[in-house]
Amino acid sequence: MKTKGALDSIGKKFVQIGLPKELFVKNKFNLLVDRNKVVVRYPAPGVRSEVIETPTGVKTKVYIEPGTKLEEPVVLCFGAAETTEVQTTEGEIVVGEGADVKFQVYGAMAEGIKLKHKNKLKVRVEKNAKFEFLDLHYNGEETFVELETETDAYIGENAYFRSVFKQTRGRAGKVKIVLKAQVDRKGVAVFETKMIGKRDDEIYVEDVIHLNGEESRGISKSRIIAVDQTKATFVGETYGNAPRCRGHIDCSEVIRGKDVVVKAVPVVVVNDETAKVTHEAAIGSIDKKQLETLMARGLSEDEAVDVIVQGMLR
Amino acid sequence: MEPILTVNDVKLEIEGKPILKGVNLVVNKGEIHAVLGPNGAGKSTLASLVMGINGLKEPTGGEIVFKGNLLNGLGIDERANLGITLAWQDPARFEGITVEEYLKLSGRKNPELDTLECLELVGLDCTYLNRFVDETLSGGERKRVELASVLAMRPELAILDEPDSGIDFVSMEDIANMIKVMRDRGTTVLMITHREEIAEIADRATLMCDGKVVQTGSPKEVGQKFKTMCVKCEVRNPELVGGKGEN
Repeated sequence: MKTKGALDSIGKKFVQIGLPKELFVKNKFNLLVDRNKVVVRYPAPGVRSEVIETPTGVKTKVYIEPGTKLEEPVVLCFGAAETTEVQTTEGEIVVGEGADVKFQVYGAMAEGIKLKHKNKLKVRVEKNAKFEFLDLHYNGEETFVELETETDAYIGENAYFRSVFKQTRGRAGKVKIVLKAQVDRKGVAVFETKMIGKRDDEIYVEDVIHLNGEESRGISKSRIIAVDQTKATFVGETYGNAPRCRGHIDCSEVIRGKDVVVKAVPVVVVNDETAKVTHEAAIGSIDKKQLETLMARGLSEDEAVDVIVQGMLR
Repeated sequence: MEPILTVNDVKLEIEGKPILKGVNLVVNKGEIHAVLGPNGAGKSTLASLVMGINGLKEPTGGEIVFKGNLLNGLGIDERANLGITLAWQDPARFEGITVEEYLKLSGRKNPELDTLECLELVGLDCTYLNRFVDETLSGGERKRVELASVLAMRPELAILDEPDSGIDFVSMEDIANMIKVMRDRGTTVLMITHREEIAEIADRATLMCDGKVVQTGSPKEVGQKFKTMCVKCEVRNPELVGGKGEN
């Protein structure tokens, strides 16, 4: 009953900022943390975990047993229903050989709260394993979060790791996201960041992919919509260090406002004559032809912009 | 016949250069009206002026009237809400928007919208509903989706800018049939083309050259004139259009 009461109270605040209500009604969480308290913990088959509450947050260790294949995603939520000075989360995830799992992780900061959130994550995806990490952030329009998150990943032979960071509702706040990957032979790393910044939000995204193994692959993709006075920087670095490895950086930033400052810095380094790393970057206002097309179907300019932006952030 | 669109002595200058030189055109309600002419005749510019796209909201002179409403100066969405739309020659791509969503957006005011039927009418099947309207569609597929979106909207006037471009010869029959279906469902079609064999499906046709209307009549007559005149135009025979040709 205690858990249900806490879940209902947290759920009310998190649904208000856009989290799906169903998550709370059906209690779909495998782990739910409010500030530094574990509210829900429910094991998923083939997933062993250790969660320790600390004075400012939690430390987690997750081990996915080799060969584990889960059709449903493992659902986690690290949030704050009330203001607290700092929330610190540290995690380690090992995905055993041949496993195939998806984590759906909600970062939820209730309406109006202010806090600093620091996150460090280590990921190890073993040989032939597939791991998708969908990091979905929800903030209120009046929430202000200073977020610093760093992910360090190793992707083993023929393994696949996809990390998606999405913050498409509410204010971004002051955000620094650093994603790093070391990719082994025939391994694949895919980093995607989709964010919207409003008012005086500051967004800094850095993707660093080292393609160390033969025929390894890396994609770094960012979509940032910067509105009002937002400052946004994307740094994409890909190092082609091995024979026949392939990397691509794809950055697209849309500006909406006179005082927006946006920067894209692709860094492409190739250390093997058979490696190939490419990049494309586009910064500018909404594409005029897209806008006119939707307006010719009867949408107002604002509606058309919203459709285009939401599509980019999908 | 009741006119739905009247283009009255429309002139357009861009950076001092005359592009349209007094165009007069009447499109009747319920017809397929082809505007035929060589590249550079001003056909697409006229289409842009009617829809208000590419920054062309107002002609330098003359007026464009749709169902009694003066279009000069109106925004694109205002014209669309009066019942006009346009299918681009080379349509825009949209990241993260599925074909089904695109059709639903286009047909959001059409109570009888059937997205699958719209696709089938342009020769695409249900597997396309979940495809994205992005670079993963070929040029021809994107073009068909664009035409399907016009069917979804069911406007009173559809301007189709070069509906045959990017469509292979075999599939042109699908597109011709689709345009006839569009008309049969109450949409007047203004079709821009530079191919007389496409113009043949129209009820009436207008030939444009060098920013002016040369002739309006049956597609056969106008197509014949186009063939004759354009061959001569290539060797610069300006007297056919009653003035100076392009150099």
